Amino acid sequence: MVQINFAQKQVNAKVVYYGPGMSGKTTNLEIVHQRAPTPNRGDLTSISTDGDRTLFFDFMPLDLGTVAGMRTCFQLYTVPGQVYYNSTRKLVLQGVDGVVFVADSSASMVEENLESMRNLEQNLAEYGKSLATMPLIIQFNKRDLPDALPVEELQRLLNPYNAPCFEAIANSGQGVFPTLKALAARVLESIHTGSRPAPAAGIQAGLTQTGFHQPPAIPAAGAPRTLQQTGYNPAPSIPMQQSAPQQGHPQQGHPQPALQGQGVGMQPAMAMQPGHGQPGMMSPQMHQQDALSRTTVHAPPMQGGMQPGMQSISMGGGQQQQQQQQPMHGQAPIQGGMQQPMQHPGMMHPQMQVPGPIPQQQQQQHPQMQQQQLQQTGYGYAPQGMGGLQPGMQMHPAPAATMAQQQAQAQPNLQMLRVDKGQAGPAAAQKPRAVAQAKPAPKSAAKPTSKAAAQAAPSAPAEAAPRIQPRNQPMATPGSGKKRLVYAGVFVVIALGVGAFVAKMVLSVL
Amino acid sequence: MAMMDQKLRSERLVFYEKDVQRIDEEIDGLLELSGSRCAFLIDRDGHLVTRRGDAVQSSLESIAALVAGSFAATREMARLLGEDEFSTLSHQGERESIQISLVGERALLAMVFDQRTNLGMVRYYAVESVRRLTEILTEIDGREAPTSSGLASDFSASAAEALDRLF
Repeated sequence: MVQINFAQKQVNAKVVYYGPGMSGKTTNLEIVHQRAPTPNRGDLTSISTDGDRTLFFDFMPLDLGTVAGMRTCFQLYTVPGQVYYNSTRKLVLQGVDGVVFVADSSASMVEENLESMRNLEQNLAEYGKSLATMPLIIQFNKRDLPDALPVEELQRLLNPYNAPCFEAIANSGQGVFPTLKALAARVLESIHTGSRPAPAAGIQAGLTQTGFHQPPAIPAAGAPRTLQQTGYNPAPSIPMQQSAPQQGHPQQGHPQPALQGQGVGMQPAMAMQPGHGQPGMMSPQMHQQDALSRTTVHAPPMQGGMQPGMQSISMGGGQQQQQQQQPMHGQAPIQGGMQQPMQHPGMMHPQMQVPGPIPQQQQQQHPQMQQQQLQQTGYGYAPQGMGGLQPGMQMHPAPAATMAQQQAQAQPNLQMLRVDKGQAGPAAAQKPRAVAQAKPAPKSAAKPTSKAAAQAAPSAPAEAAPRIQPRNQPMATPGSGKKRLVYAGVFVVIALGVGAFVAKMVLSVL
Repeated sequence: MAMMDQKLRSERLVFYEKDVQRIDEEIDGLLELSGSRCAFLIDRDGHLVTRRGDAVQSSLESIAALVAGSFAATREMARLLGEDEFSTLSHQGERESIQISLVGERALLAMVFDQRTNLGMVRYYAVESVRRLTEILTEIDGREAPTSSGLASDFSASAAEALDRLF
C-alpha cells in the first residue's frame, strides 16, 4: 500500500521480488545494493538461514530522490522461495504495491515457476489483490544456462497477463536494473490512478533498448487467452498446499480437489499425535481432547448434568470402555477384569463372559458398587460410550494396575489414570475398605444388577446375573469350610460347657 | 464514487501534516511519561509514519520493516493459536529494549527504551497512548478519501525522469 506522508513529504511504496527458490531474487537485490548510488540506497537487511537461504525476507530501501517535492522511496523486499515458507511469503506480500516475478529459465524449473506463480496469485487473493491489476514485471533469469527455455516458451507459460518481461543474468547484473526501473515506473504510475496503469509509451520505448520483450500480441478476433491455455493453471497443486501451514483452512477460489487432498492429509497427522496409543502416559485432558477430536461421543454424558466430578468419572468410564472392548474383540482377557462391572454396571455384561477366577470378596462387592455407579455416572452413559468409541478405544489398552485402582475407589480421579503398575500395591490395600462399604446391602443389589445389565446390553440382559452364579459358588466353598469347622468346634465346646453346667445343676438339685 | 473512495483508501495511506502533528504530540507525551528513548509509528506494511525522541544509529527504514515483519509473524502465530492477534510484543536486550503495540488496524507503535525505565512503565503508559492514537487514526481513516493522491500532477513524469537519472 502506497503511503503518502505530507508531514514528512515522503512517498513510500513496497516492491516484492517473488519467484521459486534459487531463482535469483536475493541476487537481484544484492546487485541493486551494490550498484545503486550510495546516497540512494539504504542498508540491505537479510533474514536468512545459515546456508544463505532467505528465511523471512531481504529488505533494502531505495531512495529515488525528491520527485515533485516529495521524497520518493521504494522498499524492496524478497521472499523465501522455498515452498515450505509460504506463510512468511504471504506476510511479506502484505501491502505490496508491485511485484517482480523472477523466473528460473532452466527447463527443469518449469514446474517450480508455475507453482510459484500460482502461489503468488493465491497469496495476493488473500489480500484482495490480483495480478491482473497489480503492477507486475516478469524477469526470466539465468538466461546463460545451457538448458534455458526460449523466451517465447516462458512467455507462454508464465505470462498470462501480458506483463512486461525481461531477460536477465542476475549474477552478472545484466537485466537487473531494467527490471527494477520498469516496475518502479509502473508503481509510480499506479499511485495516481490507484490501479494498474496502461503501459506508458516512454517506458516501452526505453525498454526496447534494455532487453525488454514485448508480450505476444493477443489476436484481436480470437478468444482471450485463458490461464489454461498459457499453461498457468490457477488450480493449486497438492504439494504446494500440503506444505502450507494453512492447510486446514479452505480458501476462497481454490478448487475442491486440492482441499480434499488437504483433508486427507490432515487426518493421519491428527491420528498420530504423540502418546495417542498410550493412555497411561497421557494426561486426561489430552485423552479427552483426543477422543473429542475423533468423535463427540464423550460429550453427551458430560452434558448430561451428572454429579460433581463428572469429568473424572467420565474419564474413568472412557478408560473402562476401552478395556472392555478387548474381550469383545477377541483379545486376551484382562486380569482382574471383574473389577470393571463394579465401576460401570452398564458395562458388566460383556465382561462377565470373560473366563477366570473371581474372588469372593469381589462378588460381594460388586452389587453395591453397581448401585453407586448408577448414581454417579448416569445409567445411559455406558451404551453410548461403547457404541461410539469402539474404534478409538482399541488404541488404548489399559494397564491392569489402572483398573485395580479404579476398582479400589468408588470415584476414580484423574490422577489414577496415570498410575503405573508399581503403584498397584496401595490400590490393592484399599480393597477391604471398599468391601466393607459394600457389605451392608448385598441382597438388594441383585435386582439392580440385572436391571443395569438389561439396559446396558439389551442383547443378553437377563442372562448376566444367572451366568455369574455357577462360577461363584464353587469358589466360595473352600473359604466357608474352614469357618464351618471353627463354628462347629466352638459350638461343640459351648454345647459341652452348657451340658456340663446343666448336668452339674441337675446333680446338685438331686 | 463510493467504490472509488474505498479503493483509494484501501490502496493508499495518506497522512497530512496536521494529523501527524497530533500524533507527534501524543508520542512526545508518552516518551516523557514512560522515560523511553524514542518511538516510531509504523504502518503495518513497514513504512515509517513518524519518529520522535532520540535518533537511533541504524537505518530507520530497516527497523520499521523489521518491526512490521516481526509483528506480522507474531500475528500469524496468534492466528494459529486461535487468537485474533497479539496486541503487544516486546524484545528485551541487555541495554536496549523495544516494545511494540498495535495501534488500531493499520499501525504499530514501537518504543525503544533503556535502563532508565522499565518494561512495566512503558507498557503502562503505552496503553492509554495507544488508545488515543487509535482514535486519531480512526478519525483519519473515517475521513472522506481524497479523489486524488494530492501529489502534483506531474509526479509520474518527474518520477520517470528521476528513474532515468538513477539507473
